[in-house]
Amino acid sequence: MAAAAPTPTTISPETPSLAALLPETLAKPLSEGTAAQPEAAGPKKQPVVLDVRDLKTYFYTYDGVVKALDGVSFKIRRGETVGMVGETGCGKSVTAFSVTRLIADPPGRIVGGAVLYRGANVLRGLEHEAKFKPMKGSNRVKVRRSFRRIKASQERMVAVRGGGIGMIFQEPTSAMNPIFSVSNQLSETLLLHRGDEIMDTLLQATPNAPERRAAFEELADAVRSGQPTDNVRAAAKKVGDVLHCPSMATQSFYTAREAIAAGRDPLPLLERAVRRLRLSRLARSYLLQQRRLIALQKELNASYMQEMRDGTFDHSQRRSIRRRRVATRYRGGWLSIRGIRGRARKPLNEETFWRSVTLLEGIAIANPVQVARSYPHELSGGMIQRVMIAMALSANPDILLADEPTTALDVTIQAQILELMRDLKERVGTATLFITHDLAVIAEVAERVCVMYAGHVVETAAVRDLFRQPLHPYSQGLLASIPRVDQPEKQLSSIKGSVPNLITPPPGCRFHPRCAYAMPICREQRPPTTVEGTDHTVACFLYKGPVAVE
Amino acid sequence: MESTGTTPAEESTTTKGRGRRPNPHVAQFLRTFYYLRRNGLAMFGLAVILILVGIALYALTLPIPTQSLAFYCGTNNQPSCVPGTQICTYPQGVVAPGPNCYQTPVSGGGVSSYPSIIAPTFDLAHFSGGPLPLGSLTVDPSHNAFFNLYDGLLRGSDWSLIISISIVLSGAAIGAIVGAVAGTFGGLIDEVLMRLVDIFLSIPAILFVIVIIAVLQVLPGFTSFDARIGLLVIGFVLVWWPFYARIVRGQVLVVREQKYVEAARACGAGKGRIIMRHILPNSVYPVFIQVSLDVGTIPLFVGTLVFLGFAVIPTTIGSGIFPEWGSITATSVIPLISLLTTCQFGQCIVPWWQFFFPGFALFMFAISVNFLSDGLRDALDPRLRR
Amino acid sequence: MQMWVYIVRRALLLIPIIIGVMTITFILITALPTGIRCVSYFPIPRSGDIGPTGPCPGNPSQSNCPNPWWTHCVSVLGLNTPVPVQWATYMEHSLTFNWGTVNLNSYLSQHSQYSFMAGEPVTTALAQVLPYTLELATISLLLILVVSIPLGNLSAANRNRPIDQASRVMSFSGYALAPFLLGSLLLMAFVILIGASNGWHSLTCPASPTYLEFYKSWPAQQCFPGGNYPSWISNGVATTPTGFPTVDAAYHGQWVIAADTLIRLILPAFVIAYGSIAGLLRYVRNSMLEVMNLDFVRTARAKGVPESVVINRHAGRNSLNVTITVLGLTFATFISGFPVTEDVFGLTGVGRLLALSIDIPFDYGVIFGSVLLFTYLVVAANIIVDVLYAYLDPRVRLG
Repeated sequence: MAAAAPTPTTISPETPSLAALLPETLAKPLSEGTAAQPEAAGPKKQPVVLDVRDLKTYFYTYDGVVKALDGVSFKIRRGETVGMVGETGCGKSVTAFSVTRLIADPPGRIVGGAVLYRGANVLRGLEHEAKFKPMKGSNRVKVRRSFRRIKASQERMVAVRGGGIGMIFQEPTSAMNPIFSVSNQLSETLLLHRGDEIMDTLLQATPNAPERRAAFEELADAVRSGQPTDNVRAAAKKVGDVLHCPSMATQSFYTAREAIAAGRDPLPLLERAVRRLRLSRLARSYLLQQRRLIALQKELNASYMQEMRDGTFDHSQRRSIRRRRVATRYRGGWLSIRGIRGRARKPLNEETFWRSVTLLEGIAIANPVQVARSYPHELSGGMIQRVMIAMALSANPDILLADEPTTALDVTIQAQILELMRDLKERVGTATLFITHDLAVIAEVAERVCVMYAGHVVETAAVRDLFRQPLHPYSQGLLASIPRVDQPEKQLSSIKGSVPNLITPPPGCRFHPRCAYAMPICREQRPPTTVEGTDHTVACFLYKGPVAVE
Repeated sequence: MESTGTTPAEESTTTKGRGRRPNPHVAQFLRTFYYLRRNGLAMFGLAVILILVGIALYALTLPIPTQSLAFYCGTNNQPSCVPGTQICTYPQGVVAPGPNCYQTPVSGGGVSSYPSIIAPTFDLAHFSGGPLPLGSLTVDPSHNAFFNLYDGLLRGSDWSLIISISIVLSGAAIGAIVGAVAGTFGGLIDEVLMRLVDIFLSIPAILFVIVIIAVLQVLPGFTSFDARIGLLVIGFVLVWWPFYARIVRGQVLVVREQKYVEAARACGAGKGRIIMRHILPNSVYPVFIQVSLDVGTIPLFVGTLVFLGFAVIPTTIGSGIFPEWGSITATSVIPLISLLTTCQFGQCIVPWWQFFFPGFALFMFAISVNFLSDGLRDALDPRLRR
Repeated sequence: MQMWVYIVRRALLLIPIIIGVMTITFILITALPTGIRCVSYFPIPRSGDIGPTGPCPGNPSQSNCPNPWWTHCVSVLGLNTPVPVQWATYMEHSLTFNWGTVNLNSYLSQHSQYSFMAGEPVTTALAQVLPYTLELATISLLLILVVSIPLGNLSAANRNRPIDQASRVMSFSGYALAPFLLGSLLLMAFVILIGASNGWHSLTCPASPTYLEFYKSWPAQQCFPGGNYPSWISNGVATTPTGFPTVDAAYHGQWVIAADTLIRLILPAFVIAYGSIAGLLRYVRNSMLEVMNLDFVRTARAKGVPESVVINRHAGRNSLNVTITVLGLTFATFISGFPVTEDVFGLTGVGRLLALSIDIPFDYGVIFGSVLLFTYLVVAANIIVDVLYAYLDPRVRLG
């Protein structure tokens, strides 16, 4: 039931870039908070955006405590793509979920560590949220959770999720809400994270600008005379400039094309399209109310960030924000009634609809208007994954956590998605944590790699260094097990043994039961992470470099 | 809810005996019980049910009354009637209104003495003008009638449980078979059987029971006591089996699609083996939940029937009230409504004990099975389990 | 277009159900003796006249002449024809609303509430009392939905916390308290409370002058017959044009009476709702728990949507689909609460008629008629639920 036409495999030059269509610059200055980290060493080094230190996540189940992550540390710098590799069950997805605190709270629990984003520790206050009591006679542990604190910490995460750290997930077909249309869900993200710009645009749009007639004519001519799409888009952009509303560019583009294709005169249709910018008093008051609410939410988010940074927050400030929020809602008055609110929302809904169409254009979807109006069950997996990427990026995050985005898709679609992500990375510059079990994908996409095994990071390196000179025995085994086309006689090698049971993991180095080079000390102590070259760290007793500084 | 899908890793941590592979059903049961234990309400419910079952078992040991007791009043000086009124007083001070005073036992009656837990013996009072006389407690030994409220409660627990369990088990058996057949074979059989189930489910339960019993009651052969009890059970079973059929069929449909069934088929298991070993054991869990629920609610239905005036055991047979909790409660509640018009406020004695104690017993029974079944549901459903 | 196709398909599926229900009642009716069947269809001309033979017209002392009433009945109902023909006859009678006549002699002679007499068709009687039941049903349904959906969402969001336990206990107590017990106790408590105030002997016999001032149309000395709530049929309230007392009272501008009817329905509606909230609450809670584990909820959280919006908008709307379906399935159990509640509160509705008809002697016409009627209500509710479900779920709506 997929309604989409096949999408091009490369992003052709004529599709506008996501960055160009979003009215503001996307690379946010990382001025806040990074001063706390004296990291920038060499000339090429960007500041660190995400700093994960000693992350521990355990799952408390009937059969015992599953120590899924036992001290995971890595750093992501601005603009770089870090890959995370490992077998199924080694804790890659758990890492991503722990960073944004999306772990299912019973039975899971983040028990230790720090996740520093822009100087704020997302895991602040962790130790107060739960108390643990081991039960005698079994390896179960009883967890007493303080729901109030957990709820408070989840509320704080609203400041970080989406706008700061974005995520895309593994199964695209179930990732979107089936009862809301695609544009509805894209609009939700836009309103959450860009609501103020959208409202400002709407409030200061000029629907009655006299130059619009000329712009319409120019656009109509461009379409009628069959000019290349670039020119048509330029003409549409001019319309948008005249009206001071960039989404009008998209809307006029598609309206004009549709009208001319149907053989009708586009001008009255374009005029009708402009009508949505003429705000009634009701709509204007609604927009102002929402604008105020968004500003209040921003204040609240700032307060949350401060709390995550210092551990303290201003009670009276929070109370005043909440009070003002209630007052704003109350002053809304008539707007609370459902039917009236629907009418007041209409301009906003249309604006966000056309913005979502713009977003869909940015990810090279051929018929964005149709896709925007459709529901998730009508789209194919690849299409939905593109939409998810657009949704995540439209919030303009600093980091994108991609949890095996292409594992559920077939290879051709996988290639398209990777191409898309690479192009977007170049244009938009978001740092990415790319989680996968496929080394080939890592080679394509990543600049640095973390290799994980059974909840530990065993090696981190630049991609080239890892492939050329894997240090840890596990990485060596991984790379050796890749079948090589140019050596057909070689017997396929595999790492002997199997993944350990994380309830009772092997003591010391978790890889030692399968390691060909195991030494007595590997059974006793966990190997420290040592630096073995520029940006190449490994956790193995075979190597005796300087211990990495956290 | 796989019983055959334990991962190899789990076995190393939860072995009960060294070197022996633990029985997955036992492990599953223990795990279920662990989750159940964490649910306080379910444990409370379980405790109450066990107490009630204990009471019922004790009641089984009570002797059937062997001597009819004739009560009379007035002339023998016990109890005394207040002249000019319709009120009798007992030596213990209990007051009971009614035109026919209660009579005391004739001497030599084989009355066994009961420990008085609730109070000095309360006899069921006789309301004036009430639509259904509650009987003068002339006990007919062949019909298990009872002496007083306490006795009625004890025997009532017996009868309630027996009726509920027989109804529920028969209904569950029939429904499970129908559902399993429909689910396993699919196709036309499934369609036909499910239409049948839908038809039965469209008729509201109480109404269906009323109709069935109303029709069958006038037929010859349904006049003896046992026949009437059997009629009650049959009526309820006919109404109840579709619920189970639907549940079982739904579960069978889900289980049929599981990977382990496919794997078993790929390994070459025959259809019979697949059904017996894989599909059936995994499909019956929701039936347990529903069974525990229904056992508690059937006495309520019986009470509702009696309340509507539907003489489950007609008054022409034996004494007036059938010793079953729902029946006692209902017959005690009926006159309350007319009390509203005939009583001036403050001048009526409402014998609250008559509907309170059996009603409370019913309520505790029903609510504890509810707790238990809800706890079971939470414990057995892997999606809700955390 | 898709939606209409879906609706028509579902409606067609309900036809075999209706036929099946009528077949079941046919089987039950056939088990009845002929005399009883005939009595429920044709009023007895003379008492003691049941039987194939009766008194001879010329000679009353002789009683073995063929009874014309009996033969007429047998021929109309087709009681001597083979079973399939009988089935067809029965279906024809049912579909043309020829359901028999009312026989509640003893009750009807005592109570003047009903404007139909013994011997009138069952359908007339049912048509007259059906609106009252529907009004009660609407209010109860509203009450159930308003309580169980938000409470279920709240329970699921705060799983195993005090609010969850409390709502579960409350809903279970509703399940465990039989409606007759709850209704009677509430009625008694209500009456005792109100009766304690000045000027009222009891709820059903008001003597306060202010009360009488309101209801001028009622004879002042009349305590409501039989201790029941006032029956609007006999008190001069118009039952045109719709037959629904509240609507008609509003139509005629009698707002006080309309409001009063509604208020009097609140307590019975509460009793009915209290019994049904348990089932629905559990389903809402469980479906909500299921939905909250689904992927898109996690996506919404990852987008930065605040938790309350996640629960109410994303998860809540999705679990509503399941809830609506279950609502249709529990409608049959919900309807079961009507005979008892109407009996307790003395409301004149279909349930009360049924309760009256099962006092000995049975009135089979009314019994079968009301059972069929209730079944049709359930079927209609299922159709409505299907339509709602199609509307709410775009996967069904768009195909």
